[in-house]
Amino acid sequence: MIEVRNLVKDYYGNIAVNDISFTVNAGEIVGFLGPNGAGKSTTMNIITGYISSTSGQAIINGHDIFEEPEKAKQSIGYLPEQPPIYQDMKVREYLMFVAELKKVAKKERTQMIDDIMNLTKINDVSERLIKYLSKGYKQRVGLAAAIVGYPEILILDEPTVGLDPNQIIEIRELIKSLSKKHTILLSSHIMQEVSAVCDKIIIINKGKLIAYDTPSNIARMLEESRELMLTVKGYETTVKYVIDSIEGIREVKYKKSDVADCIDVSIKMEENADIREELFYAMSKANCPIIEMKLHQMTLEEIFLALTHDNVHYDNDTGIVADVLQESEPDYYESKEAEE
Amino acid sequence: MGAIYKKELKSYFTSMIGCVFLAIMLIIISIYFFVVNMLNMYAEMSTTLSAITFVIVLIMPIITMRTLAEENKQKTDQLLFTSPVSVTKIVLGKYLALLTLYAIGMAVICTYPIIMNMYGDAQIAQSYSSILGFFLMGAAYLAIGLFISSLTESQVIAGVISFIVMIFTYLMTNIAGLLPTGHVSQVMCICIIVAIIAFIAYLMMHNLVVSSVIFVIGEAFFIIMYFVRTSFYDGLILNILGWFSVVDRYRTFSLGIMDVSALVYYLSIVFVFIFFTVMRIKKKRWS
Repeated sequence: MIEVRNLVKDYYGNIAVNDISFTVNAGEIVGFLGPNGAGKSTTMNIITGYISSTSGQAIINGHDIFEEPEKAKQSIGYLPEQPPIYQDMKVREYLMFVAELKKVAKKERTQMIDDIMNLTKINDVSERLIKYLSKGYKQRVGLAAAIVGYPEILILDEPTVGLDPNQIIEIRELIKSLSKKHTILLSSHIMQEVSAVCDKIIIINKGKLIAYDTPSNIARMLEESRELMLTVKGYETTVKYVIDSIEGIREVKYKKSDVADCIDVSIKMEENADIREELFYAMSKANCPIIEMKLHQMTLEEIFLALTHDNVHYDNDTGIVADVLQESEPDYYESKEAEE
Repeated sequence: MGAIYKKELKSYFTSMIGCVFLAIMLIIISIYFFVVNMLNMYAEMSTTLSAITFVIVLIMPIITMRTLAEENKQKTDQLLFTSPVSVTKIVLGKYLALLTLYAIGMAVICTYPIIMNMYGDAQIAQSYSSILGFFLMGAAYLAIGLFISSLTESQVIAGVISFIVMIFTYLMTNIAGLLPTGHVSQVMCICIIVAIIAFIAYLMMHNLVVSSVIFVIGEAFFIIMYFVRTSFYDGLILNILGWFSVVDRYRTFSLGIMDVSALVYYLSIVFVFIFFTVMRIKKKRWS
């Protein structure tokens, strides 16, 4: 179990991690999501005891990483952003060194390393010098080193970076299979990856925790961003009149369309409402043909972008991002309170 | 600690650095041994070793420069410092590996007095005393080099700084002889040194109050001392610089004297610089 309480890291006024708190329960697999420079690696470095925090606590299985570092570190396997491998060592030699460093009993070492090399599929390069391996293999050697000693908690900083698509799938499967015995905290800047393997997602940006929930809840959280985009031919007054007569609409925006004689309408519907059919008949009754109608729903990818790029519009027409941010924050606090 | 010790020692011989180090050390010492002891028939090692104390200054940076700098650069320190081993044990493991490599070279040199003894009466005790002194001096330089290696990510910078520092301690006695011995000029020198220390303290702590306090108290103390007890300044700078003269302490050993103060001096240097290294690594994590 990992407990992080009010973690702050201040590099001489440059705040990398700003008051982050979360708990990862035993057996959970949690994804740590954020753009580059969000503070993911810094947080992980603090949790693993590589660097210290300015304030706040990180507790690993009941042991504070700053007060009882050796006990806490005993139950952590860490794969940093850049795998900490010795270029001049052979793969097996390196893993044997890591096993000794992690105080694995001498007679168990050989067997354990054979198993782990099978698991991470590096047994065919076991006698090669690490410096001659490709990036993907190096990454897997780093992952193997993290697993050595079978620590209860695995902390993996971007474990699939540098791998080809097939290897990414393999590593994901491996991480999933590891999650049966281990608690895993993994970071990524790819939403898809995290939603594929994780039970819960932590989203951070600029050192601040933005959301901590299950992937489906995070998706629901932005459900309201469901938007109906219309292009209607006709006079603006007529179109306005028709739309006003329909129920289940929360917000409407009108804009002159690029298409001649047309108006672009973007409608935000109330929850669980679907007005598309009604709208179609109402418009046809008023002799305003609908040229185009499209239901726009945010994917997790877009939610992530929306949550982490404040003030940056990824869609200039709709201005969804700004809206999303205003709405998502109260939502996040609600869901967090509900959890507590 | 054992894991790091073994890994380090092994890496010296897989990367050739260990072999190069031993080769240079043994070639130079053996040439001197051949010329001084074999051709000129001096029956003790101290003359030989005294003549080549400079070798230590030349070769120590070769093995110390990469010790911690390379770990910092390759980010392998992340593995070491997140493993369940304390920083002290990691540093000790590294230091002992350095010491072992050096001891291998010294073990070869230990056979030289025996070789001499085969051809007549060699001064065995005096020879081994100077070999012990030579070993301790090297041990002290290894600790200094280890500390310097922890300061940077670049082995080249670590190597150059180690070399400069070692040359400086090597020439310390000569430098001290050039400095003024008058009381007033010594007070001025000391005041400048205090100012430098206060400035370094400021750079390290970013705390203006603490460094100003160091500055004011330090300057006041030394200026008052000048008026109260002028004799305090008799040869003060010479003495202070003498503390840093690592090579000087070796001379007593080469005379065949088992000098306890020199022994304590070398062991303190080793202890202090290992301590500094541990503190430096811990501090880096806290900043």
